[in-house]
Amino acid sequence: MAENIYKPHLAKVVEIKAETGDIKSYKFELQDPEVRKTFTWKAGQFLILDIFGIGETIFTFANPQTRSEFVECTIRKVGRVTEAIHELEIGATVGLRGPYGNWFPFDKWQGKNLLYIAGGVGLAALRSSIEFALDTFKDFKKKTILYGARSPLDICYKDRFSDWEKVPDTEIILTADKGADGWKHKVGFVPAVLKEVHPSPADSVAIICGPPIMIKFVLKELLDLGFTPEQIVTTLEMRMKCGLGKCGRCNVKHLYICKDGPVFTYSQLKDLPDEY
Amino acid sequence: MIIKDDIKNLLDELIKVKAVFAPKKDAEDTVLFGKLASGAEWYGDSLLTHTTAKDKVYLQSETFFKIKKDKNGVFLEDPAEPAETVIFGCRPCDARGFDIIGKLFNWSGFVDEYYTKRIQKTTIITISCEKPESTCFCTSFLNGSPVNSTGSDLLLTPLKEGSCLAEAITAKGEAIITGYSRYFKEAGAAEEKAKIEFKTEAEKKITKKLDLPGIKQKLDTSFDSSYWDTAHLPCVKCGACTFVCPTCYCFDITEKAFDNINSERVRSWDTCMSELFTRMAGGVNPRIDTKKRFRQRFMHKFNYHVDNFKEELCTGCGRCIKACPVSIDIRSVIENV
Repeated sequence: MAENIYKPHLAKVVEIKAETGDIKSYKFELQDPEVRKTFTWKAGQFLILDIFGIGETIFTFANPQTRSEFVECTIRKVGRVTEAIHELEIGATVGLRGPYGNWFPFDKWQGKNLLYIAGGVGLAALRSSIEFALDTFKDFKKKTILYGARSPLDICYKDRFSDWEKVPDTEIILTADKGADGWKHKVGFVPAVLKEVHPSPADSVAIICGPPIMIKFVLKELLDLGFTPEQIVTTLEMRMKCGLGKCGRCNVKHLYICKDGPVFTYSQLKDLPDEY
Repeated sequence: MIIKDDIKNLLDELIKVKAVFAPKKDAEDTVLFGKLASGAEWYGDSLLTHTTAKDKVYLQSETFFKIKKDKNGVFLEDPAEPAETVIFGCRPCDARGFDIIGKLFNWSGFVDEYYTKRIQKTTIITISCEKPESTCFCTSFLNGSPVNSTGSDLLLTPLKEGSCLAEAITAKGEAIITGYSRYFKEAGAAEEKAKIEFKTEAEKKITKKLDLPGIKQKLDTSFDSSYWDTAHLPCVKCGACTFVCPTCYCFDITEKAFDNINSERVRSWDTCMSELFTRMAGGVNPRIDTKKRFRQRFMHKFNYHVDNFKEELCTGCGRCIKACPVSIDIRSVIENV
């Protein structure tokens, strides 16, 4: 029989980095050299992280397949398992299984402008996609990243931006709901900044992730700007247990977010009931 | 063909080599699938057991693996291999449930090895239903009937002369007949004919027949119907319907920690009626209202699952109707949408 779908690979925590007050980034190294060689994923897919003695939770791969020496996750402390994760130390053994779900359709995006719009820890779900696009930048035209957080202190991945901006035709627009002394970027909510920036929908794809309220207003702005539902892509999250479409809880209609998602175009979502 | 009196002898033989589960009265006279110590314990007079035999293959709570985490690292230990098992006296609706769940557990190339290993080692011997009850509606389903063999390895259909027609449906069923051939004898045209009469008579007793393709079509467009605003009101969200169901398969995966070193990864039956079922860390819950959870149950069974598997997630056993403390009837819920 093929390998047990519920059994995790063992991995060690090799790096921990505090991003904000409640967000940390982790690097995990798979222990089995054979698994390390074969384990791969595509930007947008997710994994199930296993904290032995506590339980499992779902996270997106923060790093793309083009930077796959380690498995990276960026994790906000929000519940029982994530609290335990935030207490992990370097060298701790965890489990991980996956990859699960679909991925961002880069093959359809060749030669287009990519507009990433993220709020809060939502940037973690887009990081793999952003870095994949930057690593293969010749395949795309302009890469714009519009990112907002509650305050300058809540901005995630601060130290990655300078590297990102070095890639040709890449622009980063940062905003904070409330500014602070020394904040040189924009102040205001993401949808308002989007309106101000006024990106053209021509030959573009907008990829969004953030809190539901942000997504709702960003969608409205994008449609007003002339983006078609087919040009808008997002990634959803629901409570999941198996990651394989079996445990029965992450469905929207007959689709399982874990198996048929998490990446959807707005043209797919607008025909689905609002039950996610 | 097997003489009814020989069934107990056959069970006695099977008990020697396999774990045999059959309808059996417990201390409170409730008829449940229990492990037989002798063939005489089999209680064959009731139509349906209180709960299904689902839990003999898809355990209500099952250890995926044991975890030992100490200074030397993390070690995972697989559970013991499942034992050879016989489920005897299953009804066609319950046997069909195994077929339906089995497809889910093998869906999209991901094989659930816990279910698969156990069903491979299980022989399901089903007895056709002579006296369907008012809650039965198996004939609403494609090929559904009191003599349907889907999911069974061996089908026994009682005939008038104190014997049962025995039909091997799979190699596992054939192995029972050849392995214990002294209890079986060749059936003839008369027995085949008697089975057809049995089927006709039994089906006559099932008075409720649902137009399932019509219901599926109606449900396609009724997600936003105001029907759900009131339909869910009597429901007390106890989840009894999901636990007695031969096809409800939704599960939870949790950690059972014994101390700082030892724990187990456990899969347990879950219920879509529970608020916790879809509640995320941080509190967001897409199905926080009873209405949404209630609608999910019926939509899943008669619409979503049909989209994915081309069959309903229901076999018409009617246990949920009997188990519901507020008398919600699954048939009227979907007919009245």
